[in-house]
Amino acid sequence: MDANAWSMLLEGAWTTLWISAVSIAIGVTAGLAIALIRLARLPVIEQLLVTYISLARATPLVTLTLFIFLTLPTFGINMDRSVAGIMALTLNTTAFNAEIWRAAFQNFSRDQREAALACGMTPTVCFRRIMLPQMVITSLPGLVNEMSFLIKGSPAIAVIGIVDLTRVTNRISAVTYEPLPPILAAAALYMAIIGCLVWTQRIAERKANRLAM
Amino acid sequence: MSEQVAVSIRRLSKSFDGTEVLRDVDLEVNSGEVVTILGSSGSGKSTLLRCINWLEVPDRGSIHIGGIRIGIDEASGRSMSMRELAKVRARTGMVFQSLNLWPHLSVLHNVTESPIHVLGKSRREAEELAMELLEKVGMAHKKDSYPYTLSGGQKQRVAIARALAMQPQVMLFDEPTSALDPELVGEVLTVIKDLSAEGYTMVIVTHEMDFARAVSDQVVFLDKGIIIERAVPETFFTRPATERVQRFLERQN
Repeated sequence: MDANAWSMLLEGAWTTLWISAVSIAIGVTAGLAIALIRLARLPVIEQLLVTYISLARATPLVTLTLFIFLTLPTFGINMDRSVAGIMALTLNTTAFNAEIWRAAFQNFSRDQREAALACGMTPTVCFRRIMLPQMVITSLPGLVNEMSFLIKGSPAIAVIGIVDLTRVTNRISAVTYEPLPPILAAAALYMAIIGCLVWTQRIAERKANRLAM
Repeated sequence: MSEQVAVSIRRLSKSFDGTEVLRDVDLEVNSGEVVTILGSSGSGKSTLLRCINWLEVPDRGSIHIGGIRIGIDEASGRSMSMRELAKVRARTGMVFQSLNLWPHLSVLHNVTESPIHVLGKSRREAEELAMELLEKVGMAHKKDSYPYTLSGGQKQRVAIARALAMQPQVMLFDEPTSALDPELVGEVLTVIKDLSAEGYTMVIVTHEMDFARAVSDQVVFLDKGIIIERAVPETFFTRPATERVQRFLERQN
């Protein structure tokens, strides 16, 4: 592989990285928001969210990406490929994250919550200061799992022409006629990215030990 | 209403799924007084205590903490907002049966959390007060420890400091030693006794009869949601007026 191939590869890695990072950031936050809204059990909204979650969880990423990219323009919404890609990844990961957060809410200690309220905390302060810090730590294994699924599933967005880390290997081997080196290099880059995630998860697990009362 | 009254409960009733757990309970706790609530399990004593800070919402009746009505806005008659409710609740401190310190915070931060984030105290001021209180419950040396390293008795002592840190007008104890190993009960009861000697107003639900006798100014006995006896401890334990209490006390020994 020459310098040009490497620079293409790194460009592909960057595309995968930033599109995934944006989707993860939106997906984790939106998932939390959905879990919070679902606590209120608002009649119509609850059904809508449940439907969204089951649909998004059941739809393959490639299908979802194509669907968004091909159908939205017929409604007059034209979007950039990257935006469509981010939207597909986000819609997919948000559904899974919402379930992870919801489980964290359901499992949160009622006793701790009552202690916070008895100390004069409003539910909002209790959520911010007592619940969320612990829910982040306990949910992190699940969230990181879902993040790495998202990164590994992200080649699906190549279907609408985004040149991500996997797609770029095709392009390189189309010129060099040597498919193996770029694929191996791409694999190493995927491992490096996901390795970073797993490393943060380890730190969280160490912190989680003290939550076991 | 006189300023001497810390807690005033009037005609309080509460049902769970159609079963009446409290019926027309009246109770007055004066400032500096220790009132112990006794009764068999299921008599409604924990529910009564949890109504005082509105963790349980009663069906009827009223509760005033230091002259301020909790749960219902007296002017409009409507339920209080979460924010208004939290404000009145902050006038009470509660220690629970479950050992429920916040595990992600150190001992010191368990105690400073509410003064800082509810009362808006500065960190320095909150920590000074916290250290004073941790000293009082004998836990100052553990200020940087996390709850998982503490014994049950130590956790409960920190929980007492955490509740005191809000400088409440009344402390509520809901069976504070029931979840503890027998050899750890003493250290917690000693702390509570010290508080009563210092003049703290307390309402205590307990099964520790000797403790109740030693610490109380007034003992009330709940049976099926009704206060059937109230007396000073000496009278209550030596000359109970009702046969129900006589039977209860016999079973305790």
